Amino acid sequence: MTPMKRRLFIRNMVIGGAAAAFGPRILPGQTISAAGWPDLAAVEGESPSAITKQAINMLGGMGRFISKGDKVVIKPNVGWDRTPEMAACTNPEVVKALVELVLDAGAKEAIVIDNTINQAKRCYVRSGILEAVKQTDGKMIYVDEHRIKKMNIHGEWLKEWNVVLDVLEADKIINVPIAKHHSLSRLTMGMKNWLGAVGGARNQLHQKLNHAMVDLTAFFKPTITVLDSYRILVRNGPQGGRLSDTKLVKTVAAGTDPVAVDAFGASLFGLPAAELPFLLLAGERGLGTYELEKVKFEKRKI
Amino acid sequence: MKREKSKKYRSVQILRGFSQLAFFLLFVYLFLAAHYTGEDYISSTAQRFFHFDPLLALVTIVSARALTAFFLFSLITVVMTLLLGRVFCGWVCPLGAVHQFFSFVFKKTKFLKPPREEKSSLAWKYFILIIVLVGAVFSLNLAGYLDPFSFLTRSFAVAIFPGLAYVLSGVAGLFYSAGLLSLGRSTSHLLENWTLNATFIQGFAVGLVFLAAVMLNAKKERFWCRYLCPAGALLGLLSRWNLLKFRINQATCINCNLCSQHCPTQASPFPIGQWRSGECIYCFNCAAICPTAAITFPMSIRPEKAGNVSNVNLGRRRLVLSGLVAVASVPLFRLTPFKKRASLKLIRPPGALEEPEFLATCVKCGQCMRACPTNALQPALTEAGPEGIWTPVLVPRIGYCEYYCSLCGQVCPTGAIQKLTLEEKAQVKLGTAWIDKNRCIPYTLGKPCIVCEEHCPVSPKAIQLVDTDTKLPDGTIVTQKAPVIDVEACIGCGICENKCPVVDEPAIRVTSIGESRSAQNQLLLQTGGDPFRP
Repeated sequence: MTPMKRRLFIRNMVIGGAAAAFGPRILPGQTISAAGWPDLAAVEGESPSAITKQAINMLGGMGRFISKGDKVVIKPNVGWDRTPEMAACTNPEVVKALVELVLDAGAKEAIVIDNTINQAKRCYVRSGILEAVKQTDGKMIYVDEHRIKKMNIHGEWLKEWNVVLDVLEADKIINVPIAKHHSLSRLTMGMKNWLGAVGGARNQLHQKLNHAMVDLTAFFKPTITVLDSYRILVRNGPQGGRLSDTKLVKTVAAGTDPVAVDAFGASLFGLPAAELPFLLLAGERGLGTYELEKVKFEKRKI
Repeated sequence: MKREKSKKYRSVQILRGFSQLAFFLLFVYLFLAAHYTGEDYISSTAQRFFHFDPLLALVTIVSARALTAFFLFSLITVVMTLLLGRVFCGWVCPLGAVHQFFSFVFKKTKFLKPPREEKSSLAWKYFILIIVLVGAVFSLNLAGYLDPFSFLTRSFAVAIFPGLAYVLSGVAGLFYSAGLLSLGRSTSHLLENWTLNATFIQGFAVGLVFLAAVMLNAKKERFWCRYLCPAGALLGLLSRWNLLKFRINQATCINCNLCSQHCPTQASPFPIGQWRSGECIYCFNCAAICPTAAITFPMSIRPEKAGNVSNVNLGRRRLVLSGLVAVASVPLFRLTPFKKRASLKLIRPPGALEEPEFLATCVKCGQCMRACPTNALQPALTEAGPEGIWTPVLVPRIGYCEYYCSLCGQVCPTGAIQKLTLEEKAQVKLGTAWIDKNRCIPYTLGKPCIVCEEHCPVSPKAIQLVDTDTKLPDGTIVTQKAPVIDVEACIGCGICENKCPVVDEPAIRVTSIGESRSAQNQLLLQTGGDPFRP
């Protein structure tokens, strides 16, 4: 029931026009429409938490996306048993800021979850995200094999796959990846992060990774994508291992267009978006715009 | 004559029940605590329990030819036994508690009730002890197979708790299907948080042995403690001088023989003068059941007559024979080709001693297997030769060695796996990964994969990707990134093999060659000097 509502909502958001009628909560007396806000906001600054909150603010504030009583899932990348400064997992402060914003906006529940690669508990602890979420009223839960279900995901390549139900059953999904190097997709950001919301033989998805990323992005339809690029992983991805594999960029980008967010992420690595096949595919599929010049994009430094 | 049972000894009996329960719960708690709690270094001392065991101490020190300080704790048990007899067996031993519990339950049933008569020879456990001790002289460490702590920990780690986890997981599934989401979730989280989701190739065998040991209580009350336990035998030998003596007041004794009938270890309190101090575990059943309260345990420094120590007819010939059996079996245990040539599947946990020392030190308790977060450590069957049965071996297809984990060494009770800091552990090489190009997806099918490369935890990665041409069946050539191993950078953690999408026989496999602990099992020539000089 709820996922349908959300998917419908997102489709309209992406298409653009009718979005305001469904989703955004317009405050009384407020005349500004969704069209007035940027699709993509990037903020540079010293505090991961502050730049995250500022980026969401520029998109119109969390209240624009979250309704009272919503069950919200926040999906960071917690794939690896690595500390935050290794830039293998999403910055814990960014995740914490989002949990706070979501709850402040009136959400009933804020659930943080990821299907990790190393032992789940290790990843949750060493990434610092478990501790960060504990400081809020949010909840961090493990992926449970009983809660993974094979279902039709209507992809162009990926027809059926095992999906983590706890992600799917949310009213709103916030994707909060970290920008990292990856040997096959070249970069792993928001679209690749959906491999952490599925189960099954994930390693076989690599045989057609770009298509899998696009199909999964189309399926999960995040309400917002928040790209943590406070510290990015420039080599030996996707887990790095040395400080010298990382680079401080001190930026967080947030957007309603998942393709534009990843395209912006690519620019941080000096990669033209047009060189990334998954972005081209996603553009063709109408999931968003990778040509940043065509995106309503605001940038700020605080 | 006034007939009244002793109230005092009834209370002592109850007290003993609490003591057994307390030590059993402590044991279970420490057993469960041996896992990744969220800290890299575990503060609980699961291994400490073992250090109080004089059998493990004696055998390991003799077998490994090394005096290890942590076994000083076993002196406490030795002194306690010298002073008070086998109270350890009756009041402390958690396996003893398990056997006592099942004996109690079986006695309540009709069909499992152990017969009181036809008492077998108590000598077996002494023969087992002799075999274990003689083995130790030849560095053959057999203590762990029947030592109570090793036996119980291994059974719990490899069979009982995995079985329990299987049931709990099913319960979680039931909760979910009944729509009880949060109950299902907390059950599953319990398994994850306590690292209980593990399965072991030999869980079945170890579990059956445990079940058999429990079922033997239907044959005879505390069968294990009476006939099998080498640790109990050792403590029995030490209890000759103990101060806690057994007395029957001849004036009040009515010769009913109830005390001997209820003795769980055949210590023979009746007839008078037949009591075997080496068999008595101070359960005080006799004193509590005596209808005239004729039985007491006075303190006395007068040593028992030598014959009363165990009052077990060992027989010189049988003693010599069991010693000879032990000596003869040593070469049988050593019949393995792995002495000359390393076993490719024998990947030992990080920090493991060199193989001969490892075999002499490991007591097969399975504590490392309990602590391993990925279920990678498995009890060996054939990988390490007959001497190495149930020693830990890393099986990458089941689990891999977590890069930032050194728990196995932290919980090892004997130092067979050395304690390593995370920094030291990252330097240890367990083996080397090899690519099977005939099975590897990019090499053979010309399709993209790179899964092994992305999982490789070392930086720079020990698996590098190189553009490789593959000829497809139709003759066309495709170019794909294919993995190539940097043999020197590889630490043999096995995550590549574990995650390889070619699941049945992975296209990348770790073998033991190159392991840091071995000087022989090396791939690259280590000259270290001028080869033309001696």
